[in-house]
Amino acid sequence: MVIQFILLAAVGLGFLLFVRRWHGVRMQAGKRIGLVAFTVLNIYAVLRPNDVTWVANRLGVGRGADLVLYVLVIAFMLGMLNFYLRFKTMDRRLTELARTIAIREAEIVNRERGLLAPHDVTVSVPDDAVLSVPEAAVGDPVTGEV
Amino acid sequence: MPDSPAGPATGTNRDAWVVMPVYNEKTVVAAVVSEVLRSFPNVVCVDDGSVDGSAEQVARTGAHLVRHPINLGQGAALQTGLAYAKARPGARYFVTFDADGQHRVDDAQAMLALARTGTADVVLGSRFLRDDAEVPWPKRVVLKTAVALSPKARRLHLSDAHNGLRVFTRPVADQLRITMSDMAHASEIVGYLARSQWRVREVPVTINYTDYSKAKGQSLVNGVNILFDLSMKQRGG
Repeated sequence: MVIQFILLAAVGLGFLLFVRRWHGVRMQAGKRIGLVAFTVLNIYAVLRPNDVTWVANRLGVGRGADLVLYVLVIAFMLGMLNFYLRFKTMDRRLTELARTIAIREAEIVNRERGLLAPHDVTVSVPDDAVLSVPEAAVGDPVTGEV
Repeated sequence: MPDSPAGPATGTNRDAWVVMPVYNEKTVVAAVVSEVLRSFPNVVCVDDGSVDGSAEQVARTGAHLVRHPINLGQGAALQTGLAYAKARPGARYFVTFDADGQHRVDDAQAMLALARTGTADVVLGSRFLRDDAEVPWPKRVVLKTAVALSPKARRLHLSDAHNGLRVFTRPVADQLRITMSDMAHASEIVGYLARSQWRVREVPVTINYTDYSKAKGQSLVNGVNILFDLSMKQRGG
């Protein structure tokens, strides 16, 4: 079946695309083009269901609605994957933020407890915050100064 | 027992910092910290958003306290503790130590002594170099499997990839970036060491498997989570 090959290839290719470290501007643009194309195709499918059925038949799928469903499943998978990766980036940023706050507060608290000398305060915390931000994160606002 | 703020007058180990992630360890943490403070004057406990009052327990000891405003996971807590310790003047060695009392201070001392000789940049504790018998068998199977499945651990000839007792020298700690916030950080550290040129040595350590630490240990189910997170990370997620 042609459709099976196409679907499997799409899943594999999509997975590779999202998972490689190509998080540049082109990748971003590619995702958006994909989204727009998907939307346009869906509108077309609603307006001219017979055309979709014709395409589906060529691909070895019974009905146009089935083809739409298959494509939807793939789009959903890729969307979820994209969401997961983005969520992980957010998580990393949140960690850096919380760490910076925690250490600054700790220096105040531990000085009050008499564990730190009054002059023993550093601004070296952000060195971690900056360096450990992965290259995947584009246009990082975390690199701000203290 | 509250120690004097500057720590006991042992005079030694002033260049070493013990980093201890703490998460809901109220019942044991104060005792563990006091025990460690007897040999190591510099201890930093990172309270990872505990809800049981662990932070108050730590505050009553002479350990430095860093509190995560929210729970971020043990790996994140380690990185925070390292960041805090690295910012202190004169810090040259960093010891990671579990707060549940499963590690022995003597083992940490021995590992630090090895690091001081300059023959190793990283010293890792291993519970399998000494006597297997004391490790409960389900745990042994899980941990051995973890090592067997990890090509990096094999390359370093490690016998125990998930031991919480480690000694890092300054240059290693400077480059270490733990981004896996949860339990996968142990494999992440091993991966970092395997990619680097650091000289890694393993030292046999004894784990005190109390009922308390057993109840808090890693389960097989958690191993699935670890594998998933790591596989995503290796592909650049």
